[in-house]
Amino acid sequence: MELIKVNSASFSYEKAPVFNNLNLKLNIGEVLCLIGSNGCGKTTLLDCILGIKKLRKGEILINGVNISKLKASQLAKDICYVPQFHRGTFPYKVLEIVVMGRAVYTGFFNMPSKEDISIAMEALELVGMDKYKDKPYTELSGGEVQLVMIARAIAQNSSIIIMDEPTSHLDIRHELIVLENVVKLVKDKGKSIIIATHSPNHAFHFENNNIDTSVALMREGGFIDYGKPKDVVNEMNLDKLYKVKTKIVDIEVEHYYNMKQIVPLKSS
Amino acid sequence: MKRKKTYFLLLISPIFIVFFSLFVGNYSLSLTEVINILVSKLSFAPYDPTNKALYIVWNIRMPRIILGMLVGASLAVSGVAFQSLFKNPLVSSSILGVTSGAGFGAALSILIFSSKNYTYIFAFGFGLLAVFLSYWIGRIYSTNSTVMLVLGGVVVSSVFSSLISLAKYMADPYNQLPTIVYWLMGSLSSASYKDIYLGGIPMVIGIIGLIISRWRLNVLSMGDREAQTLGINVNLNKAFIISCATLATAGAVSVSGNIGWVGLIIPHIGRMMFSNDNKYLIPISISLGASYLVLVDNLARTIGGAEIPLGILTSLLGGPFFVYLLKRTKGRGWD
Repeated sequence: MELIKVNSASFSYEKAPVFNNLNLKLNIGEVLCLIGSNGCGKTTLLDCILGIKKLRKGEILINGVNISKLKASQLAKDICYVPQFHRGTFPYKVLEIVVMGRAVYTGFFNMPSKEDISIAMEALELVGMDKYKDKPYTELSGGEVQLVMIARAIAQNSSIIIMDEPTSHLDIRHELIVLENVVKLVKDKGKSIIIATHSPNHAFHFENNNIDTSVALMREGGFIDYGKPKDVVNEMNLDKLYKVKTKIVDIEVEHYYNMKQIVPLKSS
Repeated sequence: MKRKKTYFLLLISPIFIVFFSLFVGNYSLSLTEVINILVSKLSFAPYDPTNKALYIVWNIRMPRIILGMLVGASLAVSGVAFQSLFKNPLVSSSILGVTSGAGFGAALSILIFSSKNYTYIFAFGFGLLAVFLSYWIGRIYSTNSTVMLVLGGVVVSSVFSSLISLAKYMADPYNQLPTIVYWLMGSLSSASYKDIYLGGIPMVIGIIGLIISRWRLNVLSMGDREAQTLGINVNLNKAFIISCATLATAGAVSVSGNIGWVGLIIPHIGRMMFSNDNKYLIPISISLGASYLVLVDNLARTIGGAEIPLGILTSLLGGPFFVYLLKRTKGRGWD
């Protein structure tokens, strides 16, 4: 069953095309990795799926409904967003941030209810951030903020989560924690996720964890390849995408019987 | 727990300030006199024209205190709203040009009619016009970005400030000019029940609107992008909040003139003492704003022989206090 279907989508600013004639789909319980270098149009594509920007041509269907027909409040029940880098202005407490995920269920004249607050608490527990609930989120590290943003997305309780480079400025430990949480969201919560990333290894991480994973390799506003990680993330495509010579290795470690990793060798 | 108690006490502080302020002034009154007057008024006793104390309490001090509360509350609450909306803790209620617009309106009416009879309507009208222009400029490129909106406010403010100077330049220096200058300094000295009816309606509507939408301000302060993906109709909510904040500010400025700093420092006192969560910040800012302005106005009418314009005192006290606050808040989670 397809949650999202993008049909021959194009977008451009005035006369500068950003992407052209893209097709993709997202199934239930699937992780779709959008991989490409800076400026390839990943974020713009995500913005269109989120309803922030409008396509110039083509259509985006969510559960079979064209998103141009949906209001922000309807769309937010299906899709939520984990931003790339959240820079806070006001030092809200962590729990106050996560409760904002309940905005779509809160009427114009209302405040979040006790139930909304307990849903937010559960979300914080799920990502292991519940002990920080009363801390100003501006005092958290980048990785912790990212986990708070994921908790907010969990509280929003939509079936699709869009993540825009959620690990791009994190250290190796927090990068892994975020990835583990993504795996948890798919396996335990049945979420479907589109994740834009710089790191092709992320696709292998999901595949190694037995998650239904697809990869779209994006360059200059088009997909150069689209399919399963083991089929499309290969040395040739990586050279096309990043101009880097690589070697993909299979390692056997503990319960990962066949763990794939990319080893960069040389820029070409 | 202790903070909860302080919060509640400050929330109801305006009640005590009203009562206390009834005693402040050149004509001294005893506790029993004031209580008798209040009791007789609240029981709708017939008006006694020979009672001087009654006149002073009910027709001079009371309207001034009520108006001061409304103005202080309006300026503070719209300051909070604009700070959240523009994701900038350093903006105040005049960010979209309402103060300069209203100032020009008042100056223009004084030029045309050589009296203060029409300042209210002109100030209110031009205050709204200024915000409308800022909003329109902010949308010129069919975006609705916050930066463009602020830029619109800056442009409109400076244009109206120049127009105020022009009005002063053209004014008759013996009658009109002092009236304009005095109006711009801000004062509650001519407060009457008529001012309360006129200015009170937009102020109360604006304040109530912001109380209702206070939690949504949190979501909007995450920025347009995130607010929209969280399921908020950003343009509609922004327009609603700008309208409420503008009504409150325009109502306040048009009856009291230019009273600075309340819309900047009161929200910060609330942020420092309690919370940035607008659910709590908006109510406490309303109370703190009301109490602060009435207390400062008490000073304005008692310090020295002649009355000092209130706008001078709010800035004079608020300015140094704000610098102190900036120093204090630096280490408290601000980016």
